[in-house]
Amino acid sequence: MAVTYQTRKAVDVKAPKRTRLQQEARIGWLFIAPWVIGFILLKALPILAALVFSLTDFQMLSPETTSFVGLSNYIRFFGDTEAGASLFASLSYFLLTVPLELIVALVLAAIFTSERLRNKGFLRTLIFMTSIIPATSIFFIFLGSLQYADRLIFQPLNLPPLQGFGLLVPFMALWSIGPGFLIMYSAMESVPGEIYEAARVDGAGPFARFFYVTLPMVSPAIFFTLVVNLTGAFGGAVLLDRGYILNFSLSPMEEYINNTMFTQSDLGYASALAWVTFAVMMTLTIFLFRSAKNWVHFPEEHDDNEI
Amino acid sequence: MKFNRKRSSAEGHSRLSLRLWDFTGTALLNLFMFLFLIAYLSPLPFMAIASLTPKNQFLDANAPILPSTRMKFNYEGKDLIVYDVPTEDGAKHWALYKPGRKSSQFIDPQNPQAGVITWEGSWRTLKAVYELAPTLDNFREFLGVTKLPLWFKNTILVALISEVGVLFSSIAVAYGFSRFRIPGIKYIFLLLIATIMIPSNITLVPTYYLFSGHMLNWIGTWLPLIVPHFFGSAILIFLLRQNFKSIPRDLDEAAMLDGAGPLRILISIILPQSVPVVTTVALLHFFYIWNETRMSGLYLGVAPNLQMISFGIQRGQSFFFTPEALMVGALVAMAVPVLVLFLSQRFFMQDMIVTQIEK
Repeated sequence: MAVTYQTRKAVDVKAPKRTRLQQEARIGWLFIAPWVIGFILLKALPILAALVFSLTDFQMLSPETTSFVGLSNYIRFFGDTEAGASLFASLSYFLLTVPLELIVALVLAAIFTSERLRNKGFLRTLIFMTSIIPATSIFFIFLGSLQYADRLIFQPLNLPPLQGFGLLVPFMALWSIGPGFLIMYSAMESVPGEIYEAARVDGAGPFARFFYVTLPMVSPAIFFTLVVNLTGAFGGAVLLDRGYILNFSLSPMEEYINNTMFTQSDLGYASALAWVTFAVMMTLTIFLFRSAKNWVHFPEEHDDNEI
Repeated sequence: MKFNRKRSSAEGHSRLSLRLWDFTGTALLNLFMFLFLIAYLSPLPFMAIASLTPKNQFLDANAPILPSTRMKFNYEGKDLIVYDVPTEDGAKHWALYKPGRKSSQFIDPQNPQAGVITWEGSWRTLKAVYELAPTLDNFREFLGVTKLPLWFKNTILVALISEVGVLFSSIAVAYGFSRFRIPGIKYIFLLLIATIMIPSNITLVPTYYLFSGHMLNWIGTWLPLIVPHFFGSAILIFLLRQNFKSIPRDLDEAAMLDGAGPLRILISIILPQSVPVVTTVALLHFFYIWNETRMSGLYLGVAPNLQMISFGIQRGQSFFFTPEALMVGALVAMAVPVLVLFLSQRFFMQDMIVTQIEK
């Protein structure tokens, strides 16, 4: 016992270990340096600048006449009924599309776990395919299929023709389920078979198994998909970027901001509007994360090997 | 003995019904999926049909769905339109020779020697006869109006150059995040995740200002589309890092004992095991560049010769007026990503998921 203690003391590697750790950290910093520099130059500073812009009456064409206007841009938002209506419209749009995307993807993923389905690989690619079609194409395809729908369904039934872009919203949402579908499908595939077997022995039917076994087991994937969909809906980075439809945005708030930015070139106010949208989005996301404790069954935290 | 036989027969019966039930279930499930996919993908065949449709067919309310033209009959050097004429002997396909208000003169294409037939009634109530006529005119027109080869070349160039940058730095950064003990790295990584969620609207104006004539003067060049990628992309770093973390450390520890440096470990141990995820990331970046419209619109609007494909086609909306030509544009814009997806589906789809689940 004493010997062990002594030997341990004898080979005290504390000092060299510290320098080794320091060296490791230095090399680590070197590797993440590109992102850190990019973060400072292209994210942190622009974000700070946007914050400053939102407090000024900044105009792109004449930056030298910019003056500080305090919070008046934000106060202006609260009096701006059009902006409020746009934000509300965007929110209700997300309230429709985010659950729609999630539920369709979830149901499809559940069907895909069935061993009875044939040609899964090919079908999976077909379902995923629509999510990489560029926005450029989607818009034209949508307009074209409206015409055909009119010809084939609405005219024979003597219904008024479809007007406007209202349908584009659910259409785009349905054609964006790819990543969520893949995430949840693979989560379902990785649920251990014994759990289903145990549930079956206990007399659980297919629906009971889905609601009481599958859903809780894949709840982290559902949560992740929700966060991804929400981020994408609010204009954050997405896995599969299909670009923008010019002169037309699915999100009325985004369109309003773009209009303020590019047409009226009122950049100060546009920045303030973007911040308000971001605040709303963050509130929703935080709410989602808070609620996660109640319904997401996170796997036990394993030590992330010091990182 | 008797008991045995009885049991086996019962067993056989239940097995048969079970198999029947199994078969029905399988058939129903596959049928459902088939029908769902037909509905889900139905806009695509319509798009293909529309792209082959002759001009102005959309304006003709009586025209069929498939690409077709009015049937014509050449009589004495003139193209006569064929109509569906109801006669006492049933409906006949006759070519209209001389229209009149009360009666019109027709030619029977089957028997032109018989000469002019007079038909009583208003020819305006008659329906034209159509024949199937898919055409490539829309494609020709589209190629004539747009600078497709130039856009294609530009897109590929931008994609390749930025691909190199984004792969180099994202791999390096992901390696840094997955293998090194840096104090507080957990929070730095959270910061990285946070940048994914920041809407591009917020940074758009300051970034534009940075690239504009006020500071860097990069407008009208590819630099704003390429240079940012050399700092890595947060979402790709996230994917790579999750994957790198799942590679056991035993191998790199062994290599370290053999005297391999961090770069050596990355190149000869981590990367060979990460070919699928690196390919996935490379493809994601390619899709991003191909589909990208906002940056190319903002920064390349003044330089038409540097313009890229998605923006070019989308802008063309105002130039190639007919819906058929628009469909050609849609088809061209989506053809490459879809093709790339199908060629790479094997590991692209598989790897995208595995890496994400762990949060």
